[in-house]
Amino acid sequence: MGSGEVRYSSLAAGIFGDILDAVIVDVASEAHRAARLGFDRRLNTEEEEELRLSAQARAIVGESVANGDTSSKYTIDVFGQLHPAVASEIFECMNCGRPIVAGRFAPHLEKCMGKGRKARIRANANINLSQQRKVRSSPLPSYFPGGPTHTSVSSRTPPTQTSSLTPEDTQKSGLDPNDGTSEESHDDDDKGQRGRIQSGAWQVQTYL
Amino acid sequence: MRASINRPPTPDVDEEKRDEPTLQDIINIKLIESGEKENLKELLRERLIECGWRDELKAQCRALMRKRGRSNTTVDELVRNITPKGRAMVPDDIKAELLQRIQSFLMSVAL
Repeated sequence: MGSGEVRYSSLAAGIFGDILDAVIVDVASEAHRAARLGFDRRLNTEEEEELRLSAQARAIVGESVANGDTSSKYTIDVFGQLHPAVASEIFECMNCGRPIVAGRFAPHLEKCMGKGRKARIRANANINLSQQRKVRSSPLPSYFPGGPTHTSVSSRTPPTQTSSLTPEDTQKSGLDPNDGTSEESHDDDDKGQRGRIQSGAWQVQTYL
Repeated sequence: MRASINRPPTPDVDEEKRDEPTLQDIINIKLIESGEKENLKELLRERLIECGWRDELKAQCRALMRKRGRSNTTVDELVRNITPKGRAMVPDDIKAELLQRIQSFLMSVAL
């Protein structure tokens, strides 16, 4: 056993050397490539300058932390730049095309893409309108998530999870055994609301 | 016809002169086939990045290229230059960890 282990260790060392060489070649080729293609910013700054720059950056962050400045509205980064707490850049929403402030983008997306209640109701209404144009003699298959729910929209509070669509779906389909057929969406009065929820659930399904 | 019968036999003779695949070779093949070599390489890479070895070595490369001119240095030169440094810079605990894994692999292969 002893001699076997000794043999293993020299073998193992050899293998380790192999693997290490491969990793070294990787590093070298990557550094070489970066320099040749001009990626590497650090290539031009000399070493002492590099040390000085990194010490400087650390100092900038350090002093802002030491002064208790971290509570202020602006955060300061290693380059000495100030960043406001709430992002203020304006860009276009890719869904609706409106110009949105970056800091308010998340809540906007919620409304815009239909996680929120109002968006879903709005979407349901749209679907209903488009459904009314199609032929509706054949009942829709039963994978169509359960029919109209019993609870009305106003009393139900939507769950606050962001991955909320699926649990909401199962809730709705669980509540109603009916098939979501077209007849039901005919009536508009109180069933109309349910119909809207049903098709809203359908729409939500298609998202997923 | 006779000439062809008398001609020397085909490669058999040559093959005997060639070495049998060494133990090292066999193990290497087993390592690669089982995928363990890749795993070990990834593990080593990860550890070396964590401990800053890679950054140091890259700085060495950069220093070398600064000296010799960016377009003049070849990958070969770099490799030849940094390999001894790289080997020396590997921290002992990382080396030990890798060796341990290699040895357990060898034993599992049950030579």
